[in-house]
Amino acid sequence: MTRLSKRSKRLRPSGEHRLSRLINIGLPYLWLGLFFLLPFAIVLRISLAEPLLAQPPYTALWEWAEQGILQIRLNLGNFQLIREDDIYLAALLNSLWVALVGTLGCLLLGYPMAYAIATAPERRRILLLMLIILPFWTSFLIRVYAWIGILNANGLLNNFLLWLGVIDTPLKILHTQTAVYIGVIYSYLPFMILPLYANLTRLDPTLLEAAADLGCRPWRAFTRVTLPLSLPGIVAGSMLVFIPVVGEFVIPDLLGSPGSLMIGKLMWTEFFANKDWPLASALAIVLLAVLVVPFVLMQRLQQDDEDGRT
Amino acid sequence: MDTLEVQPLNESRRLVPSPSDRRPLEPWQDPKAAPYVRIERVTKQFGDVYAVDDVSLNIFQGEFFSLLGSSGCGKSTLLRLLAGLEYPTSGRIYIDGVDVTDVPPYSRPVNMMFQSYALFPHMTVEQNIEFGLKQDRLPRRERAERVGEMLDLLRITELRKRRPDQLSGGQRQRVALARSLAKHPKLLLLDEPLGALDKRLRENTQFELVNLQERLGITFVTVTHDQEEAMTMSSRIAVMDAGQIMQVDTPTAIYEFPNGRFVAEFIGSVNLFEGKIVEIQGDDVLIEAQFGGLMQMRSLQPHPIGTPVVVAIRPEKLRLCQTPSDDGVNRLQGVVEDIAYLGDVSIYRIRTGGGTLVEMTLTNIQPRTEQALTWEQEVWVEWSPTSGVVLTE
Repeated sequence: MTRLSKRSKRLRPSGEHRLSRLINIGLPYLWLGLFFLLPFAIVLRISLAEPLLAQPPYTALWEWAEQGILQIRLNLGNFQLIREDDIYLAALLNSLWVALVGTLGCLLLGYPMAYAIATAPERRRILLLMLIILPFWTSFLIRVYAWIGILNANGLLNNFLLWLGVIDTPLKILHTQTAVYIGVIYSYLPFMILPLYANLTRLDPTLLEAAADLGCRPWRAFTRVTLPLSLPGIVAGSMLVFIPVVGEFVIPDLLGSPGSLMIGKLMWTEFFANKDWPLASALAIVLLAVLVVPFVLMQRLQQDDEDGRT
Repeated sequence: MDTLEVQPLNESRRLVPSPSDRRPLEPWQDPKAAPYVRIERVTKQFGDVYAVDDVSLNIFQGEFFSLLGSSGCGKSTLLRLLAGLEYPTSGRIYIDGVDVTDVPPYSRPVNMMFQSYALFPHMTVEQNIEFGLKQDRLPRRERAERVGEMLDLLRITELRKRRPDQLSGGQRQRVALARSLAKHPKLLLLDEPLGALDKRLRENTQFELVNLQERLGITFVTVTHDQEEAMTMSSRIAVMDAGQIMQVDTPTAIYEFPNGRFVAEFIGSVNLFEGKIVEIQGDDVLIEAQFGGLMQMRSLQPHPIGTPVVVAIRPEKLRLCQTPSDDGVNRLQGVVEDIAYLGDVSIYRIRTGGGTLVEMTLTNIQPRTEQALTWEQEVWVEWSPTSGVVLTE
């Protein structure tokens, strides 16, 4: 009898073990809950309120009416406004477009760079990687500011081109969409290169030898072997560029034309200029939905692909 | 499934040469035969390291040729030079009479099976095999036919939809072989083809590879560090050391008549007795051995008196006697120091009077318990003039 009880005791996780398991699993969830889910809930709640000239500048979501009746007021007007006023849709589409161009630009520039670093001799690789990471030592804001000096009508680029004799009159680049593209591609290039580099260094070079042995010219070997095998790196890099660029505020504000609106800039205006916190929050929620839905869909697709393999 | 032999198949029958065009068994003996692969004074340098050092070699059609050597001897580099994955620093390479020295790998009539197999992880078995055929722009129907033929030939049809990470080592080896054979190359290069397999699977696959090679009539050049593997499979073996070829010959000749100390020691075990020629008696020479005493040995080449030589005798060619026999020409007295019982044979180490340790093997014809030999027993080791070779280096 005693023996049996002893054995059953051993099978059950000890209290200490259960505690460590709780900490192991619980801590990350606590972190996510505290710093992601809770802020999201707050933003969602503000988006359903109405602006108010008060502190805080929005109406309460619920109040206790007389006779102990809980009164909840959900204001969907903000979402209604976003749907009806074309400026928001235009800003959203423009943001997505800039993010798309930026991502493609980063991919076209970043892939050859990542490939070159991954195939460089081991000793030079560290130096090249350092050069990619080095700009992070300087403030992001200052680096974007520096581009004003380069792209200005009287800036470095125009002066250089005039000196070369390629152009007679300075090009207007600053405060155009082109300047935004340049700024976005410049700022986000490392986020494309690093995951691609990580992926490409893992590529077994004998696979390319095998492809050559089986009759592939170098370019075909690249498209048939290297490119498909680096797809996870391309996806990771593209997401790291696309998602933050959609909400980008600093680059379009400093380099872009005042006329072309991006969703990040609009949010900033609603929050700080118009003091309309609920509308700004609603915009944030819409943006999140636009970004999360394709992301989830893609992950589902990837999952299906992996399931199909086994 | 990995242990079965290759069975003949209808689809692959046209790959098999008819008896009429079977080449002579030893084309390298025929002075008129044109070599299929001709390597002429090829050197490959990596920095100041000579991976391949002035190598010349002829390989004939239908051969199963092995490059044998320890790691770093340059055998893999030589194979990669044939595949076009490396280009020689100097020298020329001809395949089927065509100078391919500067031809890139994708234009050579050669396929290679890589040591790591190098299967494309993002493709199924079928797609891997089809890969080379697609590069040749073969029509879809023909491609499907060829893939089917290869799947049948290596009996991996049921694996055709799997990806490489879902295969065992032996299965991957088969897929790699199928992929390299799919283009019907005239010359197949195999880099340690059995290196990644466990011992038992390796032994079975050795015979299977030889059968496959004989049926397809393709010239195989393989690289291996395993002398047993090279002996089992090859028509000829090139023993390499430090970028140079030490000896090229049939397995039998390499074992029985090594041309020097390196090859004698590299293949199998051997007893080496150093000495000096003191007298010539017809075909035989008398050698004053360093252990003291005279040896009478058959010498294949004439050597002048006074030449320092090494006599190499394989352990199984020595006779062990408990009393000196009448017909023993060469004789050494000693005591049994070590006995290693291996089942089929036993290895004996005899310490001779002069202090030399002689190793010999005896087949265990009698059950072990009836063997009279024991440790510290006094014995005589004897051998005839033809049991070994006289080497000058």
